Amino acid sequence: MNEEKTAVLLMRENPSKSPDPYKMDELRGLAKAAGYKVLAEIKQRRERDHRFQIGMGKIAEAQSYHPTKLIFYNPLSPSQVFNIRSEFSAQVLDRFNLILEIFASRASTREAKLQVDLARLSYDAPQVRSELALKTRGEQPGFRGAGAYEQSMYHDIRGRMAKIKSELKDVETMSEDRRQKRREQGFDLVALAGYTNAGKSTLLNALTGSGVEAQDQPFTTLSPTTRALEIKGRRVLLTDTVGFIDDLPHFLIKAFHTTLSEIAEADLVLLVADLSDPAELLHSKMVASHKALWDCQVTAPIVTVLNKVDRLSEGEASMKEELIRDLAPNPVMVSAFSGSGLVELKECIYQRLQPLQEYQIRLPNTSEGLSRLSRLYETAELLSVSYGEELVVKLRGKGEAVARLKIESSDSQAKD
Amino acid sequence: MVCAVVSARVSPNFVEKIHTVRIMPSEAETLDLNVVADFICGACMCLPGIIVAESGDFYNQEIWRVRSILGRDFKYPETIAERTLIEMAHHISVAGRRLIIEPGEDNNR
Repeated sequence: MNEEKTAVLLMRENPSKSPDPYKMDELRGLAKAAGYKVLAEIKQRRERDHRFQIGMGKIAEAQSYHPTKLIFYNPLSPSQVFNIRSEFSAQVLDRFNLILEIFASRASTREAKLQVDLARLSYDAPQVRSELALKTRGEQPGFRGAGAYEQSMYHDIRGRMAKIKSELKDVETMSEDRRQKRREQGFDLVALAGYTNAGKSTLLNALTGSGVEAQDQPFTTLSPTTRALEIKGRRVLLTDTVGFIDDLPHFLIKAFHTTLSEIAEADLVLLVADLSDPAELLHSKMVASHKALWDCQVTAPIVTVLNKVDRLSEGEASMKEELIRDLAPNPVMVSAFSGSGLVELKECIYQRLQPLQEYQIRLPNTSEGLSRLSRLYETAELLSVSYGEELVVKLRGKGEAVARLKIESSDSQAKD
Repeated sequence: MVCAVVSARVSPNFVEKIHTVRIMPSEAETLDLNVVADFICGACMCLPGIIVAESGDFYNQEIWRVRSILGRDFKYPETIAERTLIEMAHHISVAGRRLIIEPGEDNNR
């Protein structure tokens, strides 16, 4: 029988910080995305309780709704999880585990599954270690025991992590080779980045006319999806990536390094933001996105796509654009849903891409040289070709494509 | 301790122009919030604009509180350019510390 998953959301607010009403909204969105029916939301403004994170009374109140799980916004320590489980016999999750649960349910590719596994193990490793330490506290190994504790579990985790890391490294090398190959083929690489549920996949569909899965919920996309697009004769590959979220532990970003490298290595980054969000929330999401881009070590130019403009009046949209002007490089207002502003966005992408350089190259006037010339028609814009003892070709294109041609020419000369 | 101040004009993702770099050494018995605030305020004297510093420098206090202590416009780094500048100031302050406070240390190594 398929039982409905229910949850009560709990959040402890720090008394020394200003209250943030959007945090609970975000947690609710995440819980719904993970398939939970939210029965109640409980907040408490107090200092951290070292045993239960939040006051005991609040946990008892949450338990009175008889939920399947209690979901905490605040991170829980292993001892807090143990205490809540044993005192209230309740199943608990914190925000990070909830995100991992969503990731695990959505991971469809091998790469995504490995990344989710690595993130979970990175989270579990210190927890298992401290649980083992709690378990063995005050005991002496040796008498009637094998003289050893369950340390092997921790070592197993470390071993699996190392194995996954090496597998992911292979995937990363493969992605790097693929990117290099695409550049040699004359493509410009553009990455779609932004806060989760900003409308990146919808924008990808609107720009390229493809049918990538896009839904109004966080973390619909986990693995990078690439589609081709042509803007004024320039061939562009647009890559949709996993969305950012605020307050993520560093190791999760490390686990998703392979996916995030698509953003770091792009020629241009489209930073998508949901303009229909309240101004304060929009500002904090933009700050979180900038932080994530900084963590990814992005050096490429950024175009800010202010999406979902169809949900606002013209005055409201320009007021919000003004509010986040310091955080939004090269802003373009777009509605991926209605299609407005897409022409301006394409123009902006074209303007911000590095201009193509002109080159003059010489090819041997042989069948091999001619086949290379015909390939050039696909990878670059040919300005003139003069046929003599040698083929003198003037072209406009990407440096990588020309460099590849030169390597091929020198290889064939060496063979001759 | 050494405080490095970098005064610059920034766009959201690039540092457009660096106007001034200032290094200021100081000694203090304690490192409470007021000492740090006075030190930073003194180092930024006569430099116009918003002060941007890492949240750890002000013990993760709320922005409005730091603003009222400094008596100047203040914010934590938000954009890529601001983070680049903070990183730059960190490198300068570490190098400045080695140069001003620990001049003999490198020779002893």
